[in-house]
Amino acid sequence: MIQLRNIQKSFGNQLVLKGIDLTVNKGEVVSILGPSGSGKTTLLRCINFLERPNEGQVIVDDFKVNSKQANKKEILTLRKKTAMVFQQYNLFKHKTVIENVMEGLIIVQKQPKETARKLAMEVIEKVGLTEKANAYPVQLSGGQQQRVGIARALALNPEVILLDEPTSALDPELVFEVLEVIKRIADEGITMIIVTHEVSFAKDVSDYIVFMDQGEVVEEGIPTVIFNNPKEERTKRFFKRINREEDNLESNLTNAI
Amino acid sequence: MDITLIVDFFPKLISYLHITLLILVAAVAIGLVIGVVIALIRIYKVPGFNQLALIYISFMRGTPILIQLFLIYFGLPTLLALVHIDVSRANPLLFVAITYGLSCGASFAEIIRGAVNGVEKGQTEAAYSIGMNEKQMMVRIILPQALVMAFPNFANSVIGSLKDTSLAFTIGVMDMVGRGNTLIASSLHALEVYITLSIIYYGVVICLEKGFSLSEKKLQRFEGSLAVDTK
Ligand SMILES: Nc1ncnc2c1ncn2[C@@H]1O[C@H](COP(=O)(O)OP(=O)(O)OP(=O)(O)O)[C@@H](O)[C@H]1O
Ligand SMILES: [Mg+2]
Repeated sequence: MIQLRNIQKSFGNQLVLKGIDLTVNKGEVVSILGPSGSGKTTLLRCINFLERPNEGQVIVDDFKVNSKQANKKEILTLRKKTAMVFQQYNLFKHKTVIENVMEGLIIVQKQPKETARKLAMEVIEKVGLTEKANAYPVQLSGGQQQRVGIARALALNPEVILLDEPTSALDPELVFEVLEVIKRIADEGITMIIVTHEVSFAKDVSDYIVFMDQGEVVEEGIPTVIFNNPKEERTKRFFKRINREEDNLESNLTNAI
Repeated sequence: MDITLIVDFFPKLISYLHITLLILVAAVAIGLVIGVVIALIRIYKVPGFNQLALIYISFMRGTPILIQLFLIYFGLPTLLALVHIDVSRANPLLFVAITYGLSCGASFAEIIRGAVNGVEKGQTEAAYSIGMNEKQMMVRIILPQALVMAFPNFANSVIGSLKDTSLAFTIGVMDMVGRGNTLIASSLHALEVYITLSIIYYGVVICLEKGFSLSEKKLQRFEGSLAVDTK
């Protein structure tokens, strides 16, 4: 179980997160939606202390980290319990696909090389890249790179995988293959927190939706409620705008055809 | 000018090439160690040492290598005499190696530092996100990429150093130029000697450049341009 308690973060004198509370149960997929600049990325980065919160606690299982007192060792332990998938993939450029996936297993988890290789191959197969195991990231399409990013995270067998807009850097025709992989591992019961703009995907994959705006959780709940009957004005407005954008996109497409 | 003299001088001079290369190898080896250490000091801004590193780099940059060579040649024995170590009979090659090592160290440090800073921030974050500590991140992820990026500048710097070694004769090292001077004294054909020397230096530089550009291609295979198809 992942718990965030009163997470606050400011950059300079701008308070970007105004005390976020969130509980994610084991095996749940939680999607965070919200307008640009609402603090979604920052929240995700606070969970593994890539950004150190000014206030609050992160609890993963029984392991509790206080933002203020956290020392290096605690932060490392926390990071070993989590994994992240980045918008820009951030694969280790000088390592092949399989080396990317093995790196954490060997260096961080100290697994023997052969065990690591076997495990890495299994995960790579899961994301459908067996043929590319020895390719370098630069030789892969964006979609393939992101699938490696997912494999790298998945291989570590973390308590939670944090995904920050995993498809927003991709060409539209590559989005699907990545979403499909995420869906598949969600179905396996991996706990995930996903920041995404793909509303229909969020609807489909999530057990729980969190809507953020201006550093606060405005509304949260199960997808059917949030999408069909949002209570808050800001949530309604957000979905209205998104729907309009999608309609525009579609009519543009139809016009183009 | 007598062309046959060039043919005559060539084997005599090239038989001292190994001294030049020895100086270069020693300088690069010393320079690499110093360069990595100084670069890390600068990157982590180690209190106190960072200022020293800055002074060292700017001094090496701001003074001619010939002056540095004399400073070390005359200065080091004087310094060491204070602690009762006598180096007055040491091989001048030693002083040359130290001077060029220090000089290489300064430029390598800046090259490495620049390259480390040039590695995308996302690489660091990915390393941390899988639970690496700072040292693992540096050694496994950042430095390997930085050294590859640094390679072209590094190669330029080495070629520059090779040419700088031609000053080693000034403190009595018998390298190609040193031997050239004795040939001039005995034959009184300075121009032919210098033409021969220029041919040899140029040839060595061409070989080095070729070698560097081949290794560069090998090293940077993950950078894209030369992506080999793996299947
Ligand atoms: N390193 C930083 N330094 C200063 N300000 C920052 C930093 N990172 C984020 N911010 C600010 O914090 C706010 C929240 O940013 P964040 O990236 O978390 O938003 P987001 O919800 O992920 O937006 P988007 O949907 O555009 O990705 C923004 O106003 C942003 O400018
Ligand atoms: Mg974001």
